[in-house]
Amino acid sequence: MVYALKDVSVSMNGREVLQSLSCTLQEGKWISVIGHNGAGKSTFAKLIKGLIPSFSGEYTYNQQPLPRDSKGNMRVVPQIGYVFQNPEQQIFETTVYKELAFAQKIKKGHTGDTKAEIESVMHQMGLSSDLLDASPYQLSGGQKRRVAIASVLIADPELLILDEPTAGLDPLSRIALLEEIRAWQRTKNRTVIFISHQMEDVAEYSDEVMIFNRGRLLVQMSANDLFLQHTAFMEQAGLPLPEPVQLLKLIEELSGRIIEPVSCREEDIMQQVRSVWQARGIQHDG
Amino acid sequence: MLVFDQVNYHYRREHPIIQDVSFEVQEGEFVAIVGGNGSGKSTLAKLINGLLLPRKGQVRLNQLNTLQHVDLKKIREQVGLVFQNPEDQFITTTVLDEVVFGLENLRIPREEMMPRVEGALQAVRMEDYLDAMPHQLSGGEKQRVAIAAILAMRPSILVFDEATSMLDPQERKDILEVMRTLHQSGLTIIHITHHMDEILSADRVLLLSNGSIRFDGTPSALFNSVSLTDQLVPPFAVRLHQTLGLDVPLGSDWKETITNLWSMH
Repeated sequence: MVYALKDVSVSMNGREVLQSLSCTLQEGKWISVIGHNGAGKSTFAKLIKGLIPSFSGEYTYNQQPLPRDSKGNMRVVPQIGYVFQNPEQQIFETTVYKELAFAQKIKKGHTGDTKAEIESVMHQMGLSSDLLDASPYQLSGGQKRRVAIASVLIADPELLILDEPTAGLDPLSRIALLEEIRAWQRTKNRTVIFISHQMEDVAEYSDEVMIFNRGRLLVQMSANDLFLQHTAFMEQAGLPLPEPVQLLKLIEELSGRIIEPVSCREEDIMQQVRSVWQARGIQHDG
Repeated sequence: MLVFDQVNYHYRREHPIIQDVSFEVQEGEFVAIVGGNGSGKSTLAKLINGLLLPRKGQVRLNQLNTLQHVDLKKIREQVGLVFQNPEDQFITTTVLDEVVFGLENLRIPREEMMPRVEGALQAVRMEDYLDAMPHQLSGGEKQRVAIAAILAMRPSILVFDEATSMLDPQERKDILEVMRTLHQSGLTIIHITHHMDEILSADRVLLLSNGSIRFDGTPSALFNSVSLTDQLVPPFAVRLHQTLGLDVPLGSDWKETITNLWSMH
């Protein structure tokens, strides 16, 4: 399963909001999309989902053009799941079960083993089956967010777009949610498009990173290459480095040594930094 | 001085939101309030200025009591509330009108208005945007206009209810800088947030859990409190201190701490 864009431009109200974008979205990857507000991240996500009817350039799925309607407009791509910002605002049923059953009906159009599927997707999102009969209004913010994401996952999307899924969540709920999405993505070998402002989360979870800057794709590369080798791209887009990477740079500067952690994840960076720190023999007796 | 005295609040009796909460905030303090989603933080913010009234107990501000109907107007003039989505508060078409609107409601004389508006916009560094349309500004700029609109009314306490949670990292820094400046100028700041790095600027932190106060003390003491580790994700600076075993006070800038320690050896 490969989605590809070739030389795609999107105009809105006479202004080009995306300019000559070419990229490939590979199966099984966690791809993070970063950039300032207004850089084109959400337009890109909407384009992928088929929510932008007309644009110039090519959009293909496994080398085949995606279907269009009789007027030549792009259609919504059903096998892509889209979790909007604050998705819990779209919950409207009176119980969690009804909400998920509704999503299942419209997205899959079938009435198979409804209950088992709903329980399975609840479980994937770390929600207890006890909550099935609860009113969404009794749930905490983190639980509501999960129900909303579960209602997208129930269609078993090939590719899942998450637009700032953790905004407004407390840190524990944030980490739990990201871990659950990663477990879902890995076990099913799905693709995740993760739009985020939290560079620490981007460095922790991504296989690849796409940087958007003023309507252009500045770069798409592996997270390790970006954060350990090519941080100049971050500077160019005016984006902060993840704090562990900032630490790495500082220690490199102080020690005059090049430090090579195995990945850009915090744990791997901290391990290297600790050994350099200890080698310096810094005492901690106050 | 702000006083919460045995405050209880519930929407439905069987689901208490705030339970027996007591604390005091002195004039000029910078207090951060943290806690999980649903712990009661936003309810607490609304109790401060009488948007919600205690079911039991009292909320007092400088001898005024939110339960006394005659006091409410004065309390709301003194307490400014900044929310997560500034757009929800915007009602006019220019930045200038937005800041003026609150003053008109307070019946501030015309000649006093402009100096107040200019001062407030300068405090948030938005003085060049008088004629801009609030809805066309970036998230951080909108939030600064919302703050200016409140500052113009000359409150003594500013309550930020997750006011940074929808902003990008640079905008978040800018708003935090504005908070620090306002604090230095003598305002009392109450900052409700999920971003643990932001609480390091505070004098004091309250941790709310299931509607009760689980901790009241300095940020470093909070992260050193072993019994709370299951409730908290420490910010990077604290994780760094723990990983390197640093036995020095938690500064507001970990880079400075690391550089100093390195150069001393």
